[in-house]
Amino acid sequence: MSLFHGLLPEYIIVGFILISLLGNMLSRKYHVASWLSLIGMLSAFVASSHLWSFVLKPHMFLGGGAVIDNYSLFVNLLVLLAGLGTILLGWDERRWGTEFPVLVMLAVLGMMILGLAGNVITLFLGIEMLSLPLYILAASTHTASGGEAGLKYLLLGAFSSGILLFGLALLYGAMGSLAFVNFAKTVATPTSPLLWAGVVLSLVGILFKLGIVPFHMWVPDVYEGSPTAVTQFMAFGTKVGAAAILLRFMDFGFYATPGWWGPALGYLAVLTMIVGNLLALPQKDLKRLLAYSGIGHAGFLLIGVATHNLQGARALLFYLLPYGLAVLGAFAVLSLVAGDRDQVSVSDLTGLAKKRPLMAAFFIVVMLSFAGIPLTGGFVGKFYLLQAALFANQPGLAIGLVLGTVLGLGAYLRPIQALLNNQDSDSTAPKPKWTLGGAVVVVVAVVGTIGLGVYPTPIVHMVNQSANFFWLH
Amino acid sequence: MLVVWLMVVALVGSFVTLVVPRQSAKMVAAIVGAIVMVLYIGLLVHPGQGVNVSWIPAWGIRFHVGSDGLSLFLLGLTVVLTEAAILASKSAWGPVYFFWVLFLEFGSLGLFSALDLFLFYIFWEVVLIPVFFLLTSWSGPKGRRAGMKWLIMNLFGSLFMLIGIVAVAVIHSQPFGPLTFEISKLVHVHMDARVTPWVFAAFFLAFAIKAPLWPFHGWMPDAYREAPAPVTALVAGVMSKMGLYGFLRIMLPLFFPEFVKYETGLLILAVIGLVYGAFMALRQTDMKMVTAYASLSHIGMIALGIFSLTRAGILGATFLMVAHGLMVGGLFIVLGLLENVGGSRELGTLRGLNASAPRFAAYFLFFALATLGLPGLPGFVGEYLIIQGLVVHHVVFAVIAIIVLVMAAWYMIRIFQGIMQGPQGDLEIADLKAQQIWWIVPLAGLVVLLGVWPNGLTSHAVPSLYHAVHLLAGKGGSV
Repeated sequence: MSLFHGLLPEYIIVGFILISLLGNMLSRKYHVASWLSLIGMLSAFVASSHLWSFVLKPHMFLGGGAVIDNYSLFVNLLVLLAGLGTILLGWDERRWGTEFPVLVMLAVLGMMILGLAGNVITLFLGIEMLSLPLYILAASTHTASGGEAGLKYLLLGAFSSGILLFGLALLYGAMGSLAFVNFAKTVATPTSPLLWAGVVLSLVGILFKLGIVPFHMWVPDVYEGSPTAVTQFMAFGTKVGAAAILLRFMDFGFYATPGWWGPALGYLAVLTMIVGNLLALPQKDLKRLLAYSGIGHAGFLLIGVATHNLQGARALLFYLLPYGLAVLGAFAVLSLVAGDRDQVSVSDLTGLAKKRPLMAAFFIVVMLSFAGIPLTGGFVGKFYLLQAALFANQPGLAIGLVLGTVLGLGAYLRPIQALLNNQDSDSTAPKPKWTLGGAVVVVVAVVGTIGLGVYPTPIVHMVNQSANFFWLH
Repeated sequence: MLVVWLMVVALVGSFVTLVVPRQSAKMVAAIVGAIVMVLYIGLLVHPGQGVNVSWIPAWGIRFHVGSDGLSLFLLGLTVVLTEAAILASKSAWGPVYFFWVLFLEFGSLGLFSALDLFLFYIFWEVVLIPVFFLLTSWSGPKGRRAGMKWLIMNLFGSLFMLIGIVAVAVIHSQPFGPLTFEISKLVHVHMDARVTPWVFAAFFLAFAIKAPLWPFHGWMPDAYREAPAPVTALVAGVMSKMGLYGFLRIMLPLFFPEFVKYETGLLILAVIGLVYGAFMALRQTDMKMVTAYASLSHIGMIALGIFSLTRAGILGATFLMVAHGLMVGGLFIVLGLLENVGGSRELGTLRGLNASAPRFAAYFLFFALATLGLPGLPGFVGEYLIIQGLVVHHVVFAVIAIIVLVMAAWYMIRIFQGIMQGPQGDLEIADLKAQQIWWIVPLAGLVVLLGVWPNGLTSHAVPSLYHAVHLLAGKGGSV
């Protein structure tokens, strides 16, 4: 397989970015770029699935800088799903201008690069390519809160990128190599302070993007201020990208020495699960609630890295899908309920079950998936993570997961009870309207969530093929 | 195979109630319930082998369901009580209500027939959801709080059980075996002595909360008080049996040595619940709460039978589980009908009703007598067997159990006298009409049948219990 063949999905996205820009120049119609980006991402989706059977063995290019394997393809599929959802949710949002789809595609490209990154250059390239468009997207509504969100994200993001870059430079100094696979060969020897500092600083940079406590402060404000479709993209896409690179970075570069970073990540995971879900409990703003729940879920994801075994890698990769589907569904309903506004509070949902029963039912399904109730994908994901924790003989992680889940449940039940509450509902308030894009996203999310919960076997099979890092056995 | 059809009909039927016109939802739900009952009769005649197909092969999870002497009659209890609850509900509650009731039936049937631990857990949590929604949407603001408490307390316990389940499966697969969740294979697991108490505690917590055993009954008073009467009947009649069933089906075979080790402590826990429930029942003035605490007391009695670890005690517990479900379910349903016409549940407001409503009084008396364990009715048979099991090694607990039986008569007769007898109050209520309650007669008939012909159940239950007990004997138990 040639490099061109392996990078086909990425090339397709690059091509469609250019075509969309050209389309924007040539045509004044608003939806040209949106249609082009939809077609582009769908073709990249098809291309990624087409490549699936070609890469049962990993292919390395550019001296280990790009690793094309089932893992990178699975990440491609996930981030393309997130990108498609964003375009559909933002379909009728005319405030954003025609560059919106182009920026989304650019960020998607960054996430795809994170999926295949095999050395520190591609890592940094991916992180920046993901972040820069998102800084703009976060501020794209031209409102005060949007500007605040964008600025906060930009300043903190740039700061963390600096830390990350510094850490990567130190790593290069300590190792004399850029590629993760070469780290592993060197790191078996006694560790130097330079290496230590390098690993810690790079981890901080990546954990910041993932939103792990104590690097989570930016998440609620940015989620709250950004437009709903963009928030969805950050909650799903950014997490996929950051989790993918974290797993690759640690499990490729440092698999031989889990003794010193494994426990540290384990403690952070437990802390994140508990703090994130605990802070979600009192939130009145739905976006903030989902932001804190997203922090909690980042903690769940971190279990997969902290266990440092094959089950952990697979469980992390699996969990991204039900989590992402639930994010898609929840934010889609949110944007439908919000209509033209950017803010939605829990009380805005009151009486939704009476006004729009189907919308309410869909929202309940995705909330139950967040909470990890059986027959939804969220449960299967949590079950896989539990397996990983216990196979790694780390019951503390399992107990942290359970406590986090119970706390999270309390947070998810409030919106559910609000929308079932008929007594206090304001009957004069207008009914939320279905839009075509929103409906498509919600239906895909709900069908996927229940499908994953009832028959997860195909996805489990795919995930087991993807995270097939033989050295972790 | 039939047992799967039961579940399929209940599940499909639950969705059918959502699409039919609003006013016919109750009728459709009742027809679905009746079809499930007919299928269940088929299951009684041909218990069959059940179904065992691969579900998630990567984790060794199988869709394995079947029915044996232990679960067969609990399946029957589910089927009968669900039908009664549907008939006792108001059709004004709307299609979604009947959807959840049938969905609850689906989950309960699955739980009682699951033979794979993963499958068992799925249904274990699935049954929580309908009750949560029934509490949230069909009662007041207090019901919303009760629903929240119900779900969070129960999930807290069951998530720890999930850790336990995965831990047992992982330990069983060590060092290089494949994962499996088959209960019949997992019973051969060898666990480290440092791990076993924790896994035991994880399972115990989940089952004790669901039953509920004292002191894990925090969710119970609110949920029983706020839920609509038919739902209370289902929760008290069917769902409280799930925890006890878990003890019998999963914990006894897996942890028999631990049961022997902790036996005294467990018996004390059960007997506290038994006495506490009885005293609380004596103090209540709300007739629904009297029944609720009476139910807590009976659960303590059943738990005593299980923890006695004797054949008679376990058999008595199995029998009383079914009998108690029918009796207390019937009692809650009658009380619900009484509340509908009387508009109150308070002992002081309702009095002397048997003058204006003799049929009500008769049904009430029947179920009350059954609950207090009148010989000839099934409560007596179960309690007798349990006490027979206790007398062998634990005379003290047997004596306490007998004293509580006397108290049971006291609190049941107290509310019967208060509400039905004595001077007539200002309240005149319309008596039951035949078309309202024709279906209570067969329900009462079942109770009588169980009372006079206990062998019909015990003869089926004995073989499966022997199987369990033989297994125990192999693990160092002396039975």
